[in-house]
Amino acid sequence: MGNWGFVGLAYGLALVVLVGYLVFLKGRLRGAGEELAALEQESGRRTR
Amino acid sequence: MGRGSLATRVLGGTAGLLLAAGLYLGLVVVPPDAVQGDVQRIMYVHVPSIVTAYIAFFVVFCTSILYLWKRDLRFDAVAVSSAEIGVVFTGITLATGMIWGKPTWGVWWTWDARLTLTAILFTIYVGYLMLRAFAEEPLAGARYGAVLAILGFLDIPLNHLAVYWWRTLHQPSSILRPGGPSVASDMLLPLAMNFAGLVLLSTYFLVERVRLERLRHRTAEVRLTRGRRG
Amino acid sequence: MVAELLRRTWAMTWKDVTVELRARERINAMLFFAALVLFIFNFALGPDRETLREVAPGLLWLAFLFTGMLGLGRSFQAERENECFEELLLTPGDRESIFFGKLAGNILFMVTAEALILPLFGILYNLDIWGLLPSLALVAFLGTVGFSAIGTLLAAMTAHLRAREVMLPLLLFPLTVPVILGSVRATEAILAGGGLSEVSHWLKLLGGFDVIFLVVCPLAFEFVLEE
Repeated sequence: MGNWGFVGLAYGLALVVLVGYLVFLKGRLRGAGEELAALEQESGRRTR
Repeated sequence: MGRGSLATRVLGGTAGLLLAAGLYLGLVVVPPDAVQGDVQRIMYVHVPSIVTAYIAFFVVFCTSILYLWKRDLRFDAVAVSSAEIGVVFTGITLATGMIWGKPTWGVWWTWDARLTLTAILFTIYVGYLMLRAFAEEPLAGARYGAVLAILGFLDIPLNHLAVYWWRTLHQPSSILRPGGPSVASDMLLPLAMNFAGLVLLSTYFLVERVRLERLRHRTAEVRLTRGRRG
Repeated sequence: MVAELLRRTWAMTWKDVTVELRARERINAMLFFAALVLFIFNFALGPDRETLREVAPGLLWLAFLFTGMLGLGRSFQAERENECFEELLLTPGDRESIFFGKLAGNILFMVTAEALILPLFGILYNLDIWGLLPSLALVAFLGTVGFSAIGTLLAAMTAHLRAREVMLPLLLFPLTVPVILGSVRATEAILAGGGLSEVSHWLKLLGGFDVIFLVVCPLAFEFVLEE
Protein backbone atom coordinates (compact mmCIF):
# COMPACT_ATOMS: atom_id res chain seq x y z
CA MET A 1 0.00 0.00 0.00
CA GLY A 2 1.43 3.37 -1.00
CA ASN A 3 1.36 6.54 0.99
CA TRP A 4 -1.88 7.67 -0.58
CA GLY A 5 -3.44 4.32 0.25
CA PHE A 6 -2.88 4.98 3.95
CA VAL A 7 -4.17 8.53 3.60
CA GLY A 8 -7.28 7.27 1.83
CA LEU A 9 -7.80 4.59 4.45
CA ALA A 10 -7.55 7.12 7.29
CA TYR A 11 -9.84 9.71 5.72
CA GLY A 12 -12.28 7.05 4.55
CA LEU A 13 -12.48 5.45 7.97
CA ALA A 14 -13.02 8.81 9.68
CA LEU A 15 -15.76 9.65 7.19
CA VAL A 16 -17.48 6.28 7.67
CA VAL A 17 -17.41 6.67 11.47
CA LEU A 18 -18.81 10.22 11.39
CA VAL A 19 -21.52 9.48 8.83
CA GLY A 20 -22.32 6.22 10.59
CA TYR A 21 -22.75 8.02 13.91
CA LEU A 22 -24.99 10.62 12.26
CA VAL A 23 -27.22 7.93 10.74
CA PHE A 24 -27.31 6.04 14.05
CA LEU A 25 -28.24 9.22 15.93
CA LYS A 26 -30.97 10.17 13.45
CA GLY A 27 -32.37 6.64 13.60
CA ARG A 28 -32.59 6.73 17.38
CA LEU A 29 -34.18 10.21 17.25
CA ARG A 30 -36.83 9.00 14.84
CA GLY A 31 -37.52 5.92 16.94
CA ALA A 32 -37.82 7.89 20.18
CA GLY A 33 -40.02 10.52 18.51
CA GLU A 34 -42.39 7.91 17.14
CA GLU A 35 -42.57 6.12 20.48
CA LEU A 36 -43.45 9.32 22.30
CA ALA A 37 -46.00 10.35 19.68
CA ALA A 38 -47.72 6.96 19.89
CA LEU A 39 -47.79 7.12 23.69
CA GLU A 40 -49.19 10.65 23.74
CA GLN A 41 -51.84 9.78 21.18
CA GLU A 42 -52.89 6.76 23.18
CA SER A 43 -53.16 8.59 26.49
CA GLY A 44 -54.93 11.47 24.70
CA ARG A 45 -57.57 9.03 23.48
CA ARG A 46 -57.98 7.63 26.91
CA THR A 47 -58.64 10.96 28.63
CA ARG A 48 -61.18 11.77 25.97
CA MET B 1 -40.14 16.27 15.74
CA GLY B 2 -37.85 14.20 13.55
CA ARG B 3 -35.74 17.15 12.41
CA GLY B 4 -33.76 19.69 14.35
CA SER B 5 -34.48 23.41 14.44
CA LEU B 6 -33.30 25.74 11.67
CA ALA B 7 -30.33 26.89 13.79
CA THR B 8 -29.22 23.28 14.32
CA ARG B 9 -29.40 22.54 10.62
CA VAL B 10 -27.39 25.67 9.83
CA LEU B 11 -24.84 24.50 12.41
CA GLY B 12 -24.59 21.07 10.79
CA GLY B 13 -24.36 22.60 7.31
CA THR B 14 -21.57 25.00 8.32
CA ALA B 15 -19.65 22.13 9.89
CA GLY B 16 -19.97 20.17 6.66
CA LEU B 17 -18.76 23.10 4.54
CA LEU B 18 -15.77 23.75 6.79
CA LEU B 19 -14.80 20.09 6.74
CA ALA B 20 -15.10 19.95 2.96
CA ALA B 21 -12.84 23.01 2.69
CA GLY B 22 -10.39 21.49 5.18
CA LEU B 23 -10.40 18.24 3.22
CA TYR B 24 -9.64 20.06 -0.04
CA LEU B 25 -6.89 22.14 1.58
CA GLY B 26 -5.32 19.18 3.35
CA LEU B 27 -5.47 16.72 0.46
CA VAL B 28 -4.94 18.92 -2.59
CA VAL B 29 -3.65 22.43 -1.92
CA VAL B 30 -0.99 21.91 0.75
CA PRO B 31 2.24 20.31 -0.52
CA PRO B 32 3.35 17.02 1.07
CA ASP B 33 5.52 17.14 4.19
CA ALA B 34 9.24 17.41 3.45
CA VAL B 35 10.17 14.50 5.75
CA GLN B 36 7.13 12.27 6.03
CA GLY B 37 5.64 12.78 2.59
CA ASP B 38 1.93 12.42 1.91
CA VAL B 39 1.25 10.25 4.97
CA GLN B 40 1.55 13.37 7.08
CA ARG B 41 -1.82 14.48 5.65
CA ILE B 42 -3.45 12.04 8.10
CA MET B 43 -2.49 14.51 10.84
CA TYR B 44 -5.11 16.95 9.52
CA VAL B 45 -7.79 14.55 10.79
CA HIS B 46 -5.90 12.95 13.68
CA VAL B 47 -4.90 16.07 15.62
CA PRO B 48 -8.23 17.96 15.37
CA SER B 49 -10.19 14.87 16.44
CA ILE B 50 -8.17 14.24 19.61
CA VAL B 51 -8.53 17.90 20.61
CA THR B 52 -12.27 17.68 19.94
CA ALA B 53 -12.46 14.51 22.05
CA TYR B 54 -10.69 16.21 24.97
CA ILE B 55 -13.08 19.16 24.72
CA ALA B 56 -16.03 16.73 24.77
CA PHE B 57 -14.66 14.97 27.89
CA PHE B 58 -14.07 18.31 29.55
CA VAL B 59 -17.73 19.12 28.92
CA VAL B 60 -18.65 15.78 30.53
CA PHE B 61 -16.52 16.69 33.57
CA CYS B 62 -18.11 20.15 33.99
CA THR B 63 -21.71 19.05 33.47
CA SER B 64 -21.18 16.10 35.84
CA ILE B 65 -20.07 18.47 38.60
CA LEU B 66 -23.02 20.74 37.80
CA TYR B 67 -25.39 17.77 37.97
CA LEU B 68 -24.18 16.65 41.39
CA TRP B 69 -24.45 20.24 42.59
CA LYS B 70 -27.78 21.36 41.09
CA ARG B 71 -29.45 17.96 40.56
CA ASP B 72 -30.90 19.12 37.27
CA LEU B 73 -31.24 16.26 34.77
CA ARG B 74 -30.56 18.63 31.88
CA PHE B 75 -26.90 18.72 32.94
CA ASP B 76 -26.85 14.95 33.04
CA ALA B 77 -28.33 14.78 29.54
CA VAL B 78 -25.46 16.93 28.24
CA ALA B 79 -22.94 14.77 30.13
CA VAL B 80 -24.09 11.43 28.63
CA SER B 81 -24.38 12.94 25.18
CA SER B 82 -20.97 14.55 25.26
CA ALA B 83 -19.37 11.33 26.55
CA GLU B 84 -20.76 9.43 23.58
CA ILE B 85 -19.42 12.01 21.14
CA GLY B 86 -16.06 12.02 22.88
CA VAL B 87 -15.85 8.25 22.48
CA VAL B 88 -16.60 8.58 18.74
CA PHE B 89 -13.77 11.10 18.28
CA THR B 90 -11.35 9.13 20.45
CA GLY B 91 -12.11 6.14 18.24
CA ILE B 92 -11.30 8.15 15.12
CA THR B 93 -8.08 9.35 16.76
CA LEU B 94 -7.00 5.80 17.59
CA ALA B 95 -7.84 4.48 14.13
CA THR B 96 -6.10 7.28 12.21
CA GLY B 97 -3.14 7.11 14.60
CA MET B 98 -2.70 3.42 13.85
CA ILE B 99 -3.01 3.99 10.11
CA TRP B 100 -0.38 6.74 10.34
CA GLY B 101 1.84 4.52 12.48
CA LYS B 102 2.02 1.65 9.97
CA PRO B 103 3.95 3.48 7.19
CA THR B 104 5.82 5.71 9.68
CA TRP B 105 6.95 3.27 12.36
CA GLY B 106 6.34 0.04 10.43
CA VAL B 107 3.80 -1.24 12.96
CA TRP B 108 0.09 -0.60 13.48
CA TRP B 109 0.48 -0.29 17.20
CA THR B 110 3.27 0.60 19.56
CA TRP B 111 2.97 1.29 23.27
CA ASP B 112 4.18 4.82 22.94
CA ALA B 113 3.00 7.29 25.54
CA ARG B 114 0.37 9.15 23.62
CA LEU B 115 -1.21 6.13 21.88
CA THR B 116 -1.37 4.37 25.25
CA LEU B 117 -2.97 7.37 26.93
CA THR B 118 -5.57 7.69 24.19
CA ALA B 119 -6.39 3.99 24.53
CA ILE B 120 -6.80 4.38 28.31
CA LEU B 121 -9.06 7.39 27.75
CA PHE B 122 -11.13 5.33 25.33
CA THR B 123 -11.59 2.46 27.81
CA ILE B 124 -12.55 4.82 30.66
CA TYR B 125 -15.33 6.46 28.69
CA VAL B 126 -16.56 3.27 27.04
CA GLY B 127 -16.88 2.00 30.63
CA TYR B 128 -18.83 5.16 31.47
CA LEU B 129 -21.28 4.52 28.63
CA MET B 130 -21.69 0.88 29.72
CA LEU B 131 -22.35 2.00 33.29
CA ARG B 132 -25.10 4.29 32.03
CA ALA B 133 -26.58 1.48 29.97
CA PHE B 134 -26.57 -0.97 32.88
CA ALA B 135 -28.02 1.30 35.57
CA GLU B 136 -31.19 -0.17 37.02
CA GLU B 137 -32.56 3.14 38.18
CA PRO B 138 -32.14 6.31 36.06
CA LEU B 139 -31.39 8.71 38.93
CA ALA B 140 -28.81 6.39 40.47
CA GLY B 141 -27.29 5.94 37.02
CA ALA B 142 -26.96 9.70 36.63
CA ARG B 143 -25.23 9.97 40.02
CA TYR B 144 -22.86 7.06 39.44
CA GLY B 145 -22.11 8.36 35.97
CA ALA B 146 -21.25 11.80 37.33
CA VAL B 147 -18.95 10.29 39.97
CA LEU B 148 -17.22 8.13 37.38
CA ALA B 149 -16.84 11.01 34.94
CA ILE B 150 -15.22 13.24 37.57
CA LEU B 151 -12.91 10.44 38.69
CA GLY B 152 -12.06 9.58 35.09
CA PHE B 153 -11.20 13.13 34.19
CA LEU B 154 -9.01 13.60 37.28
CA ASP B 155 -7.31 10.36 36.30
CA ILE B 156 -6.07 11.86 33.01
CA PRO B 157 -3.16 13.90 34.49
CA LEU B 158 -2.15 10.94 36.70
CA ASN B 159 -2.09 8.70 33.65
CA HIS B 160 0.02 11.27 31.84
CA LEU B 161 2.51 11.33 34.68
CA ALA B 162 2.76 7.54 34.99
CA VAL B 163 2.88 6.80 31.28
CA TYR B 164 5.40 9.53 30.46
CA TRP B 165 7.71 8.30 33.18
CA TRP B 166 7.35 4.87 31.70
CA ARG B 167 8.15 5.69 28.11
CA THR B 168 8.57 8.62 25.83
CA LEU B 169 9.05 7.69 22.23
CA HIS B 170 6.51 9.91 20.55
CA GLN B 171 7.41 13.23 18.99
CA PRO B 172 6.43 15.93 21.45
CA SER B 173 3.26 17.85 20.71
CA SER B 174 4.51 20.28 18.13
CA ILE B 175 1.73 22.88 18.22
CA LEU B 176 1.34 23.03 21.98
CA ARG B 177 5.05 23.22 22.67
CA PRO B 178 6.19 26.43 24.36
CA GLY B 179 8.02 28.67 21.95
CA GLY B 180 5.28 28.70 19.36
CA PRO B 181 4.10 26.41 16.60
CA SER B 182 6.82 24.57 14.76
CA VAL B 183 4.66 23.29 11.91
CA ALA B 184 4.90 25.14 8.60
CA SER B 185 2.31 27.90 8.37
CA ASP B 186 0.62 26.44 5.27
CA MET B 187 -0.09 23.30 7.31
CA LEU B 188 -1.82 25.33 10.00
CA LEU B 189 -4.66 26.37 7.72
CA PRO B 190 -6.11 22.88 7.00
CA LEU B 191 -5.53 21.95 10.65
CA ALA B 192 -7.45 25.00 11.85
CA MET B 193 -10.17 24.49 9.24
CA ASN B 194 -10.72 20.84 10.18
CA PHE B 195 -10.58 21.70 13.88
CA ALA B 196 -13.27 24.35 13.49
CA GLY B 197 -15.31 21.93 11.37
CA LEU B 198 -15.07 19.08 13.88
CA VAL B 199 -15.90 21.34 16.84
CA LEU B 200 -18.99 22.61 15.02
CA LEU B 201 -19.90 19.07 13.96
CA SER B 202 -19.60 17.79 17.52
CA THR B 203 -21.72 20.72 18.74
CA TYR B 204 -24.32 19.70 16.18
CA PHE B 205 -24.10 16.07 17.35
CA LEU B 206 -24.40 17.28 20.95
CA VAL B 207 -27.55 19.31 20.30
CA GLU B 208 -29.18 16.39 18.51
CA ARG B 209 -28.06 13.83 21.10
CA VAL B 210 -29.40 16.00 23.95
CA ARG B 211 -32.70 16.24 22.06
CA LEU B 212 -32.78 12.44 21.98
CA GLU B 213 -32.19 12.32 25.74
CA ARG B 214 -35.05 14.76 26.29
CA LEU B 215 -37.39 12.68 24.13
CA ARG B 216 -36.51 9.64 26.25
CA HIS B 217 -37.14 11.55 29.49
CA ARG B 218 -40.53 12.68 28.21
CA THR B 219 -41.43 9.13 27.16
CA ALA B 220 -40.51 7.87 30.61
CA GLU B 221 -42.60 10.63 32.21
CA VAL B 222 -45.65 9.87 30.10
CA ARG B 223 -45.28 6.17 30.93
CA LEU B 224 -45.04 6.97 34.63
CA THR B 225 -48.14 9.21 34.78
CA ARG B 226 -50.11 6.73 32.72
CA GLY B 227 -49.04 3.91 34.97
CA ARG B 228 -50.20 5.88 37.99
CA ARG B 229 -53.59 6.60 36.44
CA GLY B 230 -54.20 3.14 35.03
CA MET C 1 -13.56 14.44 65.77
CA VAL C 2 -10.77 12.36 64.31
CA ALA C 3 -11.10 9.89 67.18
CA GLU C 4 -14.79 9.60 66.42
CA LEU C 5 -14.13 8.92 62.74
CA LEU C 6 -11.53 6.30 63.67
CA ARG C 7 -13.91 4.64 66.11
CA ARG C 8 -16.70 4.40 63.51
CA THR C 9 -14.29 3.23 60.84
CA TRP C 10 -13.02 0.55 63.18
CA ALA C 11 -16.59 -0.57 63.93
CA MET C 12 -17.28 -0.95 60.21
CA THR C 13 -14.08 -2.89 59.59
CA TRP C 14 -14.67 -5.04 62.64
CA LYS C 15 -18.15 -5.93 61.39
CA ASP C 16 -16.79 -7.05 58.00
CA VAL C 17 -13.93 -9.00 59.54
CA THR C 18 -16.24 -10.74 62.02
CA VAL C 19 -18.63 -11.74 59.24
CA GLU C 20 -15.67 -13.00 57.26
CA LEU C 21 -14.24 -14.96 60.19
CA ARG C 22 -17.59 -16.72 60.63
CA ALA C 23 -18.46 -17.44 57.01
CA ARG C 24 -14.97 -17.50 55.43
CA GLU C 25 -16.63 -16.80 52.10
CA ARG C 26 -14.27 -14.26 50.73
CA ILE C 27 -10.83 -15.00 52.06
CA ASN C 28 -10.90 -18.73 51.30
CA ALA C 29 -11.95 -18.06 47.73
CA MET C 30 -9.25 -15.40 47.38
CA LEU C 31 -6.45 -17.59 48.73
CA PHE C 32 -7.39 -20.57 46.61
CA PHE C 33 -7.78 -18.37 43.53
CA ALA C 34 -4.36 -16.83 44.14
CA ALA C 35 -2.75 -20.26 44.29
CA LEU C 36 -4.56 -21.26 41.11
CA VAL C 37 -3.39 -18.19 39.25
CA LEU C 38 0.24 -18.93 40.12
CA PHE C 39 -0.35 -22.50 38.99
CA ILE C 40 -1.84 -21.43 35.64
CA PHE C 41 1.05 -19.04 34.89
CA ASN C 42 3.29 -22.06 34.74
CA PHE C 43 1.28 -23.59 31.89
CA ALA C 44 0.97 -20.27 30.10
CA LEU C 45 4.70 -19.56 30.12
CA GLY C 46 6.47 -22.87 30.11
CA PRO C 47 9.40 -23.85 32.28
CA ASP C 48 11.94 -21.37 30.91
CA ARG C 49 13.41 -19.61 33.95
CA GLU C 50 14.86 -16.72 31.97
CA THR C 51 11.57 -15.56 30.43
CA LEU C 52 9.98 -15.97 33.79
CA ARG C 53 12.48 -13.73 35.51
CA GLU C 54 11.79 -11.03 32.96
CA VAL C 55 8.03 -11.04 33.33
CA ALA C 56 7.97 -11.78 37.08
CA PRO C 57 6.93 -8.27 38.21
CA GLY C 58 3.99 -8.24 35.83
CA LEU C 59 2.90 -11.76 36.79
CA LEU C 60 3.11 -10.96 40.47
CA TRP C 61 0.86 -7.95 40.04
CA LEU C 62 -1.58 -9.82 37.81
CA ALA C 63 -1.98 -12.33 40.64
CA PHE C 64 -2.39 -9.51 43.21
CA LEU C 65 -4.88 -7.57 41.12
CA PHE C 66 -7.09 -10.45 40.01
CA THR C 67 -7.25 -11.78 43.55
CA GLY C 68 -7.98 -8.30 44.87
CA MET C 69 -10.73 -7.90 42.26
CA LEU C 70 -12.38 -11.05 43.50
CA GLY C 71 -12.47 -9.69 47.05
CA LEU C 72 -13.66 -6.23 46.03
CA GLY C 73 -16.57 -7.69 44.10
CA ARG C 74 -17.85 -9.26 47.30
CA SER C 75 -17.37 -6.25 49.55
CA PHE C 76 -20.88 -4.83 49.19
CA GLN C 77 -22.54 -8.05 48.12
CA ALA C 78 -23.61 -9.09 51.61
CA GLU C 79 -25.34 -5.74 52.15
CA ARG C 80 -27.05 -6.04 48.82
CA GLU C 81 -28.18 -9.63 49.16
CA ASN C 82 -29.59 -9.11 52.63
CA GLU C 83 -30.98 -5.69 51.74
CA CYS C 84 -28.95 -3.99 54.42
CA PHE C 85 -27.95 -0.93 52.40
CA GLU C 86 -30.65 1.13 54.10
CA GLU C 87 -29.38 0.08 57.52
CA LEU C 88 -25.88 0.99 56.43
CA LEU C 89 -27.13 4.45 55.56
CA LEU C 90 -28.88 4.78 58.91
CA THR C 91 -25.61 4.45 60.78
CA PRO C 92 -24.96 7.73 62.54
CA GLY C 93 -22.10 10.00 61.61
CA ASP C 94 -20.28 10.68 58.37
CA ARG C 95 -20.46 8.42 55.36
CA GLU C 96 -16.70 8.67 55.25
CA SER C 97 -16.45 6.23 58.12
CA ILE C 98 -18.39 3.67 56.06
CA PHE C 99 -15.98 4.18 53.18
CA PHE C 100 -12.84 3.98 55.28
CA GLY C 101 -14.19 0.98 57.18
CA LYS C 102 -14.96 -0.93 54.00
CA LEU C 103 -11.64 0.15 52.53
CA ALA C 104 -9.67 -1.05 55.55
CA GLY C 105 -11.40 -4.43 55.32
CA ASN C 106 -10.67 -4.70 51.60
CA ILE C 107 -7.02 -3.76 52.10
CA LEU C 108 -6.74 -6.30 54.90
CA PHE C 109 -8.12 -9.14 52.77
CA MET C 110 -6.00 -8.22 49.78
CA VAL C 111 -2.83 -7.93 51.88
CA THR C 112 -3.56 -11.34 53.42
CA ALA C 113 -3.77 -12.86 49.96
CA GLU C 114 -0.57 -11.08 48.93
CA ALA C 115 1.18 -12.47 51.99
CA LEU C 116 0.47 -15.92 50.57
CA ILE C 117 1.18 -15.10 46.94
CA LEU C 118 4.57 -13.48 47.45
CA PRO C 119 6.40 -16.41 49.15
CA LEU C 120 4.56 -18.97 47.04
CA PHE C 121 5.65 -17.14 43.92
CA GLY C 122 9.27 -17.22 45.10
CA ILE C 123 9.09 -20.93 45.87
CA LEU C 124 7.20 -22.11 42.79
CA TYR C 125 9.32 -20.16 40.35
CA ASN C 126 12.58 -20.48 42.19
CA LEU C 127 13.19 -16.77 42.46
CA ASP C 128 15.49 -15.42 45.13
CA ILE C 129 13.25 -12.74 46.59
CA TRP C 130 13.79 -13.38 50.30
CA GLY C 131 16.18 -10.53 50.94
CA LEU C 132 13.92 -8.16 49.03
CA LEU C 133 10.75 -9.02 50.95
CA PRO C 134 10.55 -5.79 53.02
CA SER C 135 10.78 -3.49 50.01
CA LEU C 136 8.44 -5.71 47.98
CA ALA C 137 5.94 -5.63 50.83
CA LEU C 138 6.11 -1.83 50.89
CA VAL C 139 5.36 -1.59 47.16
CA ALA C 140 2.59 -4.17 47.48
CA PHE C 141 1.02 -2.18 50.29
CA LEU C 142 1.18 1.17 48.47
CA GLY C 143 -0.26 -0.36 45.31
CA THR C 144 -2.98 -2.14 47.25
CA VAL C 145 -4.10 1.06 48.99
CA GLY C 146 -4.59 2.95 45.73
CA PHE C 147 -6.22 0.01 43.96
CA SER C 148 -8.58 -0.68 46.86
CA ALA C 149 -9.53 2.99 47.32
CA ILE C 150 -10.93 3.21 43.79
CA GLY C 151 -12.11 -0.39 43.99
CA THR C 152 -14.17 0.20 47.15
CA LEU C 153 -15.85 3.22 45.59
CA LEU C 154 -16.61 1.38 42.34
CA ALA C 155 -17.78 -1.75 44.17
CA ALA C 156 -20.38 0.34 46.00
CA MET C 157 -21.53 1.67 42.64
CA THR C 158 -21.55 -1.55 40.65
CA ALA C 159 -23.44 -3.39 43.41
CA HIS C 160 -26.54 -1.61 42.08
CA LEU C 161 -26.00 -2.35 38.41
CA ARG C 162 -27.15 -5.11 36.17
CA ALA C 163 -24.23 -7.34 35.15
CA ARG C 164 -22.30 -6.12 38.21
CA GLU C 165 -19.74 -8.92 38.07
CA VAL C 166 -18.46 -7.75 34.69
CA MET C 167 -18.86 -4.05 35.30
CA LEU C 168 -16.47 -3.82 38.26
CA PRO C 169 -13.34 -4.92 36.36
CA LEU C 170 -14.38 -2.93 33.29
CA LEU C 171 -14.46 0.30 35.29
CA LEU C 172 -11.71 -0.51 37.78
CA PHE C 173 -8.79 -1.45 35.54
CA PRO C 174 -8.81 1.63 33.26
CA LEU C 175 -9.04 3.96 36.26
CA THR C 176 -6.25 2.25 38.18
CA VAL C 177 -3.73 2.27 35.33
CA PRO C 178 -1.50 4.85 37.10
CA VAL C 179 -1.35 2.74 40.27
CA ILE C 180 -0.80 -0.52 38.38
CA LEU C 181 1.91 1.00 36.22
CA GLY C 182 3.68 2.52 39.21
CA SER C 183 3.50 -0.71 41.22
CA VAL C 184 4.77 -2.93 38.42
CA ARG C 185 7.66 -0.58 37.60
CA ALA C 186 8.65 -0.27 41.26
CA THR C 187 8.57 -4.05 41.65
CA GLU C 188 10.64 -4.40 38.50
CA ALA C 189 13.24 -1.95 39.83
CA ILE C 190 13.43 -3.86 43.13
CA LEU C 191 13.75 -7.29 41.49
CA ALA C 192 16.39 -5.96 39.13
CA GLY C 193 18.35 -4.93 42.18
CA GLY C 194 18.08 -1.26 41.25
CA GLY C 195 19.41 1.34 43.62
CA LEU C 196 17.23 3.01 46.18
CA SER C 197 16.98 6.18 44.10
CA GLU C 198 15.35 4.41 41.16
CA VAL C 199 12.89 2.61 43.40
CA SER C 200 12.07 5.63 45.52
CA HIS C 201 11.27 7.57 42.35
CA TRP C 202 8.35 5.18 41.69
CA LEU C 203 7.48 4.86 45.37
CA LYS C 204 6.99 8.62 45.63
CA LEU C 205 4.72 8.56 42.61
CA LEU C 206 2.70 5.68 44.08
CA GLY C 207 2.45 7.44 47.43
CA GLY C 208 1.24 10.58 45.68
CA PHE C 209 -1.45 8.63 43.80
CA ASP C 210 -2.57 7.00 47.05
CA VAL C 211 -2.96 10.36 48.79
CA ILE C 212 -5.00 11.75 45.87
CA PHE C 213 -7.31 8.72 45.77
CA LEU C 214 -7.69 8.67 49.56
CA VAL C 215 -8.91 12.27 49.40
CA VAL C 216 -11.10 12.07 46.30
CA CYS C 217 -12.76 8.65 46.77
CA PRO C 218 -14.37 9.28 50.20
CA LEU C 219 -15.75 12.59 48.89
CA ALA C 220 -17.20 10.83 45.83
CA PHE C 221 -18.55 8.05 48.06
CA GLU C 222 -21.02 10.49 49.64
CA PHE C 223 -22.75 10.79 46.28
CA VAL C 224 -22.78 7.05 45.66
CA LEU C 225 -24.46 6.19 48.94
CA GLU C 226 -27.51 8.39 48.73
CA GLU C 227 -31.21 7.87 49.45
